Amino acid sequence: MNIKRNFMALCLTVLACGAAADNHSGDSHAGHQHGDTHGASAMMDHGSHDEMRDHMHQHDEGEHDVATGEHEAHVTGAITLTRTPEIDAALAKGGEPIVADVLGVVCDFCATAMNKIFGKRAEVAAIYVDLDTKALSIVTHEQGSLSDEDIGSLAEQAGYRVAAVRRGAAALGS
Amino acid sequence: MIESPSGVLKARTLSLLSPLLLALVLALEASARPVSYVGGWTIIETSNRQSTAALVHYTATPKLSVGGRMEWDRNTGFVMTAVQPTWLAKRWFGQDFQANVYLTGGLGFATGIDGNAIGSDAAYFAGVMADWETRRHFLSYEARFLDAGHFGHDFMQAGHVGWAPYEGDTGDLHTWLMLEVDHRPDALESVGVTPMIRFFKNTLLVELGYNIIEHQPLANFTFRF
Repeated sequence: MNIKRNFMALCLTVLACGAAADNHSGDSHAGHQHGDTHGASAMMDHGSHDEMRDHMHQHDEGEHDVATGEHEAHVTGAITLTRTPEIDAALAKGGEPIVADVLGVVCDFCATAMNKIFGKRAEVAAIYVDLDTKALSIVTHEQGSLSDEDIGSLAEQAGYRVAAVRRGAAALGS
Repeated sequence: MIESPSGVLKARTLSLLSPLLLALVLALEASARPVSYVGGWTIIETSNRQSTAALVHYTATPKLSVGGRMEWDRNTGFVMTAVQPTWLAKRWFGQDFQANVYLTGGLGFATGIDGNAIGSDAAYFAGVMADWETRRHFLSYEARFLDAGHFGHDFMQAGHVGWAPYEGDTGDLHTWLMLEVDHRPDALESVGVTPMIRFFKNTLLVELGYNIIEHQPLANFTFRF
């Protein structure tokens, strides 16, 4: 019986810790949104994502040191649309490019979840989740549109959280 | 213990059906997160030094899944069939990590098999799971208390540590080297150590390991659809 009681106490403690951390987590999320949304767009290669993440961290802290060359592009840039044949085809048809930075994307299950949830929407013509950049690339149908709120809500249904959304030229890095 | 004819019939039917159902789930293919995306189904099979279990669940909300669980306790000789809700109590998001705390429970009945003279009895369990994961590192902890009525009760806890030798991108084969340490106070060997390897691709996850204390194989899989 002691095991039962101890175990129930452990469950209650975990619940209490989770509830207390909720507020703190919400605050840090707001910080991410602020830090990410004021970055300009720039094309970057696949191998530079780790540096990009470092940059985003610096951005949150307000460290806008501008170096030269590639690093400068990172400082002023953001992750852009991942190009796949489906994405390119949808772009060619006049769809709107959207890139969403998603928090917590660490595995293929994450990618599958977002593919399933976003793929069900009639507005979505093509989608790709890039684990390297933690970015969700979407191209809508020409007549379709997804608001930032829609994207945030759909990501939540998939189990994740959107930190920033870029559209049009900012998503393409042009 | 004296059993009613209907109880004996139910026990015999279940003893025949349980391995078949487990085999069916295994045949469908292979777990990780016990709450998926809204509207998603997940099949989870786990087989360790004490039991073999199958869970099929449906994610109703971003924080809740509900499923059916069948678990064969090979040591005691009973099969538990239960309804299992799992609640995502908390998820932490980061740029490069995700961490989760889940609470789970189940209510059903246990039925004796393999010559176990006890017919059938109510069973319930409660558990907690926590994990922290990046693309290269993985830590998890789980604990569960099971009360299977006349079949007895069981407590277990286990921790996992994992490392990925490379970062696979979307759709690649992901490989993890992992170590499981489990503690089962009622087992012959209370502490078990199981090195294992995890393969992960798209919606399928497979884990294979071998318990070096009790010399028992481990095989887990998760499949989402």
